[in-house]
Amino acid sequence: MSYAGATTDDELRRKLAYERSAFPREYYARLRARGPIDDTEDPEEPVLVRRADVEHALRSWQEYSSDFAGIMGSEEPIIPLNVDPPLHARYRKLLDPYFAPRKMVALQPAVQQHTNDLIDAFIDRGSCDFSTEMAVPLPCSTFLSLFGLPLDELDALVRWKDIMIRPEHLVPDREAALELQATTAREIYARFQAEIEHRRAHPRDDLITYLVQAEVEGQKLTDSELRRICFLMLSAGLDTVTISLECIFAFLVHHDDARRMLVEEPGSEVNLIEELLRWETPVQTVSRRAACPIKVDGHVIPEGQRVRLALASANVDPEGLPEADQVDVRRGDLRSFAFGGGPHRCLGSNLARMELRTVVRTWHDRIPEYGLAPGAELVWNSSTLRGVDHLPLVWTPGSTR
Amino acid sequence: MRISIDPDLCQGHGRCWENAPELVEDDEAGRGVVRGDGVVPPELEEKARQAASACPERAVILSD
Repeated sequence: MSYAGATTDDELRRKLAYERSAFPREYYARLRARGPIDDTEDPEEPVLVRRADVEHALRSWQEYSSDFAGIMGSEEPIIPLNVDPPLHARYRKLLDPYFAPRKMVALQPAVQQHTNDLIDAFIDRGSCDFSTEMAVPLPCSTFLSLFGLPLDELDALVRWKDIMIRPEHLVPDREAALELQATTAREIYARFQAEIEHRRAHPRDDLITYLVQAEVEGQKLTDSELRRICFLMLSAGLDTVTISLECIFAFLVHHDDARRMLVEEPGSEVNLIEELLRWETPVQTVSRRAACPIKVDGHVIPEGQRVRLALASANVDPEGLPEADQVDVRRGDLRSFAFGGGPHRCLGSNLARMELRTVVRTWHDRIPEYGLAPGAELVWNSSTLRGVDHLPLVWTPGSTR
Repeated sequence: MRISIDPDLCQGHGRCWENAPELVEDDEAGRGVVRGDGVVPPELEEKARQAASACPERAVILSD
């Protein structure tokens, strides 16, 4: 009977995953009402759902460690995601300035150009699939710019990213999917190794050269460290921006007042994007490992247990955030954990903000009147990186700039 | 009112100086640094409160 039982469990998990992705606020409200920690969707990696607990866990790296491997098929811990302080701080000291807002100001014109090029390709058609024609390629082209790689590698990059993030979408069999993911991770590591060696011989103005030349406390990074930093950029910098764009535009097609505000008040995108990152929380959870037995309101997380922190729940928990259940760009309490918090605050948060602001601003300057294609239904992807694989938009050709 | 930033808590979210650029600027790593002596003129008190309320790390401290 265990076989039948397993099937039922699988079906239940699939149903819960879809609800989490499609109706995140309702889903997490239900979980929070039941208790501080939930293991119904994934017994192997239960999830903390209360705002106060998530906030505490993000800061308390001594209890909630990030030191584990296996992210997206990588056999080794990736850097700095899977490194704890104090070593973590050494890497961040090196990386933070490269992703600081000042650097993003310098990168913005390239992102602006990519955004305009993508829009140029479909603007006269009067329609596009926002997901595949904007949300996916834009962060990939940014990545290629950062890494000093030619834009014609975009398709290969998208394929790598898809395998790394959601291999089960490409290969239905779970074992085969994980094998493909691991094989691809090795392929990616080999490619980065080649790029590292190339930049060492031929330095230029890009991230890999910066990393190759950098010193941490008088020491150059090893090839292994360099590869694992590059892998982090690839695994964390692409899909997160894609799904954030999808979440934002999926909201906008259903909220004409917000869309009009963006058109009529240039600059209003800054606060609206912040509020939508809180409200939609595209990156729903982050993973940790209990470094010791941890007590959470009567429950005990055993040492070594993997545990997820539900940013998506913390961000809309009315306990600790007044009017958490409303979208309000002028809210008094602005604190959001959309980019996590504590020492592992998203390294690319400034890059993500710059990309999101550039796309939202440019889109509404050029295509102010648009909507969801008639009859189109949004299908959420059931992932904790929640997005929609297709977002068909239409507008009247000629009403654009 | 005075504004200060606890450098041990600051993680470089950048929300303080984006919300109150008159009071806080970003350093090379993107962390907030209080401008001048940290005294908040009355007309900027609202912005100071915004900067504090936006910090996910509660690193922005307001005092009388």
